[in-house]
Amino acid sequence: MNTFLHISPITASILVMLFPLLAFIIQAVLGKKSISGNIALIGIIASAVISLFGVFLPGWNSTSVLQKWEWFTIGEHTLYVGILVNNLTALMQLVVCIIALPVHIYSRAYMKGDSGIHRYWMYLSLFCFAMLGLTVSLNLLQLYIFWELVGFASYLLIGFWFTKETAVQANKKAFLINRIGDIGFLIGIALVYAHCGTLDLSTLFDQTSSTPLIDKNTPWATFAGLAFFLGAMAKSAQFPLHVWLPDAMEGPTSVSSLIHAATMVAAGVFLLCTVFPLFNETVLLVIVLIGTLTALSAALFALGQYDIKKILAFSTISQLGFMMVGVGIGAWDAAMFHLTTHAFFKCLLFLCAGAVIHEMAHLKAKAQLEFDPQDLRHIGGLRRFMPKTFGCMVIASLSLAGFPFTSGYLSKDSIVITAYEWASHLGGVYVLIPVLLIIVSILTAFYIGRLIFKVFFGSFKYRSYIKTGMTFHEAPNAMLIPMLFLAAGSLFPLFGLSLTNYHHTWIMQALDVDTVYPTLTQAHLFIPALLTGGAILGWLLGWNWYVKNKYPLSENNSFVHFANKQGYLNEFNDRIFVKGSIKLSRILYAFDRHVVDGLTNLFSWFVRQLSVVVYWFDKHVIDGLVNLFAHATYYIGHLVRHVQNGQLQAYLGFALTIVVLGILYLIIK
Amino acid sequence: MITLTHFLVVSACIFSIGLYAVLAKRNTIMILVGIELMINAAILNFVAFGKYDKINYGGQVFALFAIVLAAAAVAVGLAIILNVYRHFKTINPENIHELKD
Repeated sequence: MNTFLHISPITASILVMLFPLLAFIIQAVLGKKSISGNIALIGIIASAVISLFGVFLPGWNSTSVLQKWEWFTIGEHTLYVGILVNNLTALMQLVVCIIALPVHIYSRAYMKGDSGIHRYWMYLSLFCFAMLGLTVSLNLLQLYIFWELVGFASYLLIGFWFTKETAVQANKKAFLINRIGDIGFLIGIALVYAHCGTLDLSTLFDQTSSTPLIDKNTPWATFAGLAFFLGAMAKSAQFPLHVWLPDAMEGPTSVSSLIHAATMVAAGVFLLCTVFPLFNETVLLVIVLIGTLTALSAALFALGQYDIKKILAFSTISQLGFMMVGVGIGAWDAAMFHLTTHAFFKCLLFLCAGAVIHEMAHLKAKAQLEFDPQDLRHIGGLRRFMPKTFGCMVIASLSLAGFPFTSGYLSKDSIVITAYEWASHLGGVYVLIPVLLIIVSILTAFYIGRLIFKVFFGSFKYRSYIKTGMTFHEAPNAMLIPMLFLAAGSLFPLFGLSLTNYHHTWIMQALDVDTVYPTLTQAHLFIPALLTGGAILGWLLGWNWYVKNKYPLSENNSFVHFANKQGYLNEFNDRIFVKGSIKLSRILYAFDRHVVDGLTNLFSWFVRQLSVVVYWFDKHVIDGLVNLFAHATYYIGHLVRHVQNGQLQAYLGFALTIVVLGILYLIIK
Repeated sequence: MITLTHFLVVSACIFSIGLYAVLAKRNTIMILVGIELMINAAILNFVAFGKYDKINYGGQVFALFAIVLAAAAVAVGLAIILNVYRHFKTINPENIHELKD
């Protein structure tokens, strides 16, 4: 402990960043020899320990510290690279470490025996390095570099099983959609740099200086804010750019848990919290609207999914929508709080789902069956076989649904209640936002209930195989321990001893953002009551529908189809963007082929014709002239050659004639 | 009285006859004769103009000199003709046209 106290938080956070990078480099050099994952694990353990004792404990709730080094100079502007440690970055870095650590331990069991395991550990270390670097970046450009690295590492991990066509398509999709967001981020950076001349977060958003560098009520600030939000929309999977996230389930489940909990999607929310002072009312309203739309649409789509991981993916999107609303209503502390709690329970949900899928896949392989191990319709009644997994998943689900005694209860309430306060302060149609959020929360409880009921209750289709000697057992300890750890983190004591009041959690107290609207005490009572009551009602309904098999809707119901097909958004994208691009490229091809090539051909034809004319001219006029001279000379020579007849007398006669003519000339002259 | 003009006219006539012989005769001997006539026309002119040099008689002396030269030239010419005849078996100049291109 004492040794950590001697190093500054700055050095410590650099170390936190460097350990996974070092692990990545060592594994990249070792190549196929490093399959145990020990190097990656040691790297992340070191990072987690240093992050907790070296950065978080000394840095939390003290003044922000930063250090910068000159990077490069363009003209008169010098760009700095640096480290910024304040409450936000220290918390984010710690969350990333704390979530990545159990995922690493879990992966040792989950990915065991995979033929590409050496790549897996390498990518995982790179992913952690990129995300840890992103959290403490001082400079927006530096942040952007890590942002891109995160995108690239996720591309590698989503397409980890690159022999699977769907995985390749999924990582391509994730990459392309993230490019859209990256453009937004880059435009934002460019706008900020053009108007402020610096990209240092500490200089840009200096709270202490009397004249802020940014006047946020200018049109460019609106554009820059929207551009940053576009970046966050793609990274944090906001409607309509969320389409990559459900497809990203093609990667290993442990990767999904990391992407969904702390690394990839959290980056967008983190970015918005970082550049929050830049946002004006217009931008914030857009963020609220998109966030609400995302939360609602993703919750609806989650209802109709059969794939366990896709349900969880949509629940992530929906929860990210909540965080966006939190940022949009100005309570980015609530958004960060929800991000932290969400990291724990969503990671846990994925790890549990991974354990279930793992066992199902084993069963499938041993019994030589043909079914999709992730499909809910094939799974059921697993609580007897996997009681500990069941327990963990129930805790995570309760937390996701926002049930009392869980961390999700505190953080979700913080967002919904603040949204209500915000709406009642503004009045009018704004009330629709908290109402929609409450509906979404109840839907969340319902769909996660559906998942639990379908997986752990009801009848198991393949039970007969288990009776005939097939083993179907609890997840191994290497997978269970991380799950139990995260389950502990999903409960309320980690965040504060107050059961109900989110204001008393240490995160909210430290980040505390002043809001312009007053606190409503009655909202603290009826909204949690409404949420919990709604959740319980939803579960009762789910119990009736899914466990007692009183399902009232037919599978061909158009709404079920709509939700299952994710609102036909992929089809829409496919038709408009993919087919549109193909059509456009066809038109361009035709244009190129007929107009551009045609022009070229026309020119070449013209040149050919011209050359024919020139050839004719050359042959007949120029050569003709030359030939004419030659012929004329020859003809004259022909005429004169008669003189040279060899006759002595004739020569003499000519000579005489010339002499006579000469004399005559002299006489006449 | 016979004047210088008479001499010159006679001389011109002889020269023309010689010239004609040189140009038109089909016998090389006759061409040689024509040359001789032309030389003699020139010698006649020497003698005729010699009246203006009554101290040294340069005209007369030069005439004698020229006659000797002409005799030598004729001798050489006849020798050439003899050789030409031996070579070509003819002395008709129309048949001797080796100078042609």
